[in-house]
Amino acid sequence: MAAAKGGAVSDELEKKIDFKVIGKSAVRVDGKAKISGAAQYINDLEFGPGLLFAEIVESPHAYARIKKIDTSKAEKVTGVVKVVSGKEFPFRFGLYMHDRYVFAQDHVRFVGEQVAAVIARTPAIAKKAARLVRVEYDVLEPVLDVEAALQDDAPLIHPELAKYQHVPWFFPKKNSNIAHFRKVRKGDMNDGFKSADFIFEDTYTVPRYAHCSIETHGAVGLFDHSRRLTVWAASQSPHTQRHLFAEALAPLGITHKDVRVIAPFVGGGFGGKAGVSMEILAAALATTVQGNPVKVMWSRAQEFYNTYQRQGVVAKMRVGVKKDGTITALEQKLHWDAGAYVEYGANVVNAAGLSATGPYRIPNVSIDSVCVYTNLPPGGPYRGFGYSEFIFGLESHLNEIAKKLQLDPVEFRLKNAIAEGDTLNYGGKMNPSGLQECIRKAAQEIEWGKKTVSSDPKKATGKGFALFWKAPAMPPNASSTAFLKFNEDGSLNVLVSAMEIGQGFLTVMAQIAGEVLGIPVEKIRVETPDTDRNPYEWQTVASHITWSTGNAVKKAAIDAREQIFDTVSRALGKDRDSLYLEDESVKSKREPAFGLKLRDFVINGIMMKDGTWRGGPIVARGMFMPEFASAISDPETSQGGKPNVHYTVGASAIEIEVDRETGKVRIPKVVLAVDCGKVLNPDLLKGQVTGGMVQGLATVLFEDMRFSDEGKLLNANFTDYKIPTAMDVPDEIVSIFVEHAQPDGPFGARGVGEHTMIPAAPIIANAIEDALGIRLKSMPITAERVALALLDRK
Amino acid sequence: MAIVHEFEYLKPKTLKEALHAVAKNRGAMLLAGGTDLVGHLKEGSVAPSLIVDIKGLRELKKIVLKGRILNVGALVTFGELMESRVIQSKFPVLTEIAGKVASVGIRNRATMVGNICSAVPCLDSGPVLLAMDAIIHVKAVRGGRMIPAKKWFLQARKTAIKPGEIVTHVSIPLPEEKGAGCYIKLGRYQGEDLAQASVFVWMGKKGQSRVAFGSVGPTPLRGTRIEKHLKGKKLDPAVLDLAKELVSEEVSPITDIRATKEYRLHMCKIMLERALLSAEARIRGNGPKYGKSLI
Repeated sequence: MAAAKGGAVSDELEKKIDFKVIGKSAVRVDGKAKISGAAQYINDLEFGPGLLFAEIVESPHAYARIKKIDTSKAEKVTGVVKVVSGKEFPFRFGLYMHDRYVFAQDHVRFVGEQVAAVIARTPAIAKKAARLVRVEYDVLEPVLDVEAALQDDAPLIHPELAKYQHVPWFFPKKNSNIAHFRKVRKGDMNDGFKSADFIFEDTYTVPRYAHCSIETHGAVGLFDHSRRLTVWAASQSPHTQRHLFAEALAPLGITHKDVRVIAPFVGGGFGGKAGVSMEILAAALATTVQGNPVKVMWSRAQEFYNTYQRQGVVAKMRVGVKKDGTITALEQKLHWDAGAYVEYGANVVNAAGLSATGPYRIPNVSIDSVCVYTNLPPGGPYRGFGYSEFIFGLESHLNEIAKKLQLDPVEFRLKNAIAEGDTLNYGGKMNPSGLQECIRKAAQEIEWGKKTVSSDPKKATGKGFALFWKAPAMPPNASSTAFLKFNEDGSLNVLVSAMEIGQGFLTVMAQIAGEVLGIPVEKIRVETPDTDRNPYEWQTVASHITWSTGNAVKKAAIDAREQIFDTVSRALGKDRDSLYLEDESVKSKREPAFGLKLRDFVINGIMMKDGTWRGGPIVARGMFMPEFASAISDPETSQGGKPNVHYTVGASAIEIEVDRETGKVRIPKVVLAVDCGKVLNPDLLKGQVTGGMVQGLATVLFEDMRFSDEGKLLNANFTDYKIPTAMDVPDEIVSIFVEHAQPDGPFGARGVGEHTMIPAAPIIANAIEDALGIRLKSMPITAERVALALLDRK
Repeated sequence: MAIVHEFEYLKPKTLKEALHAVAKNRGAMLLAGGTDLVGHLKEGSVAPSLIVDIKGLRELKKIVLKGRILNVGALVTFGELMESRVIQSKFPVLTEIAGKVASVGIRNRATMVGNICSAVPCLDSGPVLLAMDAIIHVKAVRGGRMIPAKKWFLQARKTAIKPGEIVTHVSIPLPEEKGAGCYIKLGRYQGEDLAQASVFVWMGKKGQSRVAFGSVGPTPLRGTRIEKHLKGKKLDPAVLDLAKELVSEEVSPITDIRATKEYRLHMCKIMLERALLSAEARIRGNGPKYGKSLI
């Protein structure tokens, strides 16, 4: 019953079929708060009349040396409290590599980088005074292109790279712009290509993207007179932020115990609010105005250029294949435009490198995944974490190969699809997977092979298919914990520190606790955290919290259950092994007549005949760490470790109608089949499929980030950076769930949040090729690009 | 986003009071819907010393049909154009144009006159007013002027209005002959967008045709060569092909962040063809519903 070795939860519940709440579409526990407006977001919180506002002075240059900062004029403006710049905070910090600064020091490395801040009584005064801060620069030639940054004579963007502290699984190349080089070697490439009948080679390009959360980043810091630092932040990572604030501000004498992060509801994360980006400013600035809270709210423009962006990639690949469609070898060279600071983005490069074969059984593999500094905004985590990027090229290329071999693209994929027990790129074994079933069901749903014809002669129709996979990318010891406490009426508070970012996390945690304890979801409260009160969580990223925090909550619930059984058996003399929980009561298999309501004893205990009491308030805990994971492997091959805890796989198919004159694409139907193990809440999972698919389709059809020749982002707004509206959603989105249980997941669940957007780009590219015979090898594939490609062909 | 710039604010009760305020104050700017002005204030791209809020001048909020002249007051919003019974029955293509402007929230505040005063190249109201030979009526303390649409748009964001003048209304002469119009706007997706290019056409039963383009030059452009070519002709494939060929003589698109000149030119041809055919079908009574997406 108890936790198995390695931290995994194995319990008789796994064998139970008739779940009460698991697998049911429980109503969201945060629904009423959100619909009524009671839910508070960072900008809703009140801080009283002492609240100060900070405006950031930003670099207008992509690369320059700071000669002088003159703050005297700004300081004289009435209402200005303080002007702060890099000299107050000469500290480096970062999540996986310490290469980022609170404020730029001697150099600025991207347009929009924070150089100084004005703290004032009102936002208008701060903004006005910020314009009066004079910064003199020596402008340097920026490096804006990944291939240019890799040239031997390229300027070094981080000459101190070799001195930077980083995690042991990064391999920076000194005296270069390569911040990390992930090398994967499996099998024998010579053999692989020799045994191939054909070798197909091509290059695919994916540009940068922005998360576009509806709520921008914001944080409020308060450093009180007892030197207690509290930060309220729109955050995916309260504990990690606390840790990074404490690390970065340690020179000021601040320790972990002094730092508290409070995270209200979040209006969209998608990876952008993970780690620490602009939040460091609220933490640092607060220390300069002790006793006053100071607020930093990002504008929409800042949200685009000074948080994280999804990194661009140039993917060169060679694939060896036999006539019968067997893939014998894959070589991938992925060059990532990681931007000015890579403290988080380098791990995207790492994760993609380990998995860049996609969900295929390929015996001989060579992958170079290279993290390259450029003078563009910092790259970082974005839903999909590198997988969306390489899957675009890979699934486009494999479709082309199938076509050239005159094989059906679905049959070709079925033939090479990875299965449970197959050897992964780093040597481990593939976890349970219903990939074959996903492929067949997605193909069936889209009526693969049946050609549709539009009634409008101007329109061509096509179908596209792609596979996807993804593993959580996280440190091997990334952990989750949970506290659980009862109230007098038998209701329950579950305390966790993973974040509700719209996905329904709080609800699923309530379901897990409710299932173990026989309590309905409506009687369970789960809220967003305060790091002082809630137990540790690494971060809400990597599609890992249903799995990881879910395991912790389940263990806490089991802990509570065991305490309940202890009390009841001790006080009432019941045979402990016969006890079980149902309908908010303790019952006995041996005594059908026995039933004791939880509310009768979970706080006050059970009174004995002599008037003494047994038991007392039930307070439980649970912890989960994947003790089987390891990030240590041979740097030349990546063989030897177990960096990934599991892969979630699936297949996606689409039907499109494209106007031959305008290039505009309409989507009558899109299908996504995924095996994320046991589905804990089908409605919430459908929400993930819908949201992820729409987000992914936008990256291929509309979103188009443009930089000037000087490295300035030209469309840091929704006027010219287009994300879909309700009118741009496909006519029909079909979710198919295949359930092969994850042995170490709560009730058999695996992660799924990010995966639903990963195949969106290649299904469009493949459907356009099917409809028009045109292969577009770079994203985005806008109506304009389709129309111009058709004109070119004429 | 905070507004840093400080300014005086006046909400006049009469047009006369408003005219005197703008006459006295060279740095005055008018506030009607404010959908452009407030954005510009936040960005700091304008710095008025006085903002004259004309929303209280009820006489500017009228839609009146006098004979064949349709008058649209300066305070009439795009939302009101869409809902106007008179416009729906006498000049329904204007509801189609208004419906393509931005989103519901913006249309509830933004005015057509504000749109032509901002005079950005992508304005939706430009092509129709140009093609229909509309007149812009302005007033100043010393009296009024009537400016034809073709003389109104001078450059991108520059109109014929002079300091001290206020636009009171726009009058659109509706043609004697029966006919129908069509407006097609190219955007990057189905949601609200600024036009990458736009085409307005109006076809009369007796062979009159009017054509104008938006977003393919610094100002809206009239397709006079195309109009001449189409006059009195049936829209057979050869006539349409020649009309499309003439497009490159009428427009001068540029490449910018919203589209390349190649795509703009290509789409002007495609949109012209579809707009002409739709207008013709509307005359016959079997055309697409006003507002339906045709691209």
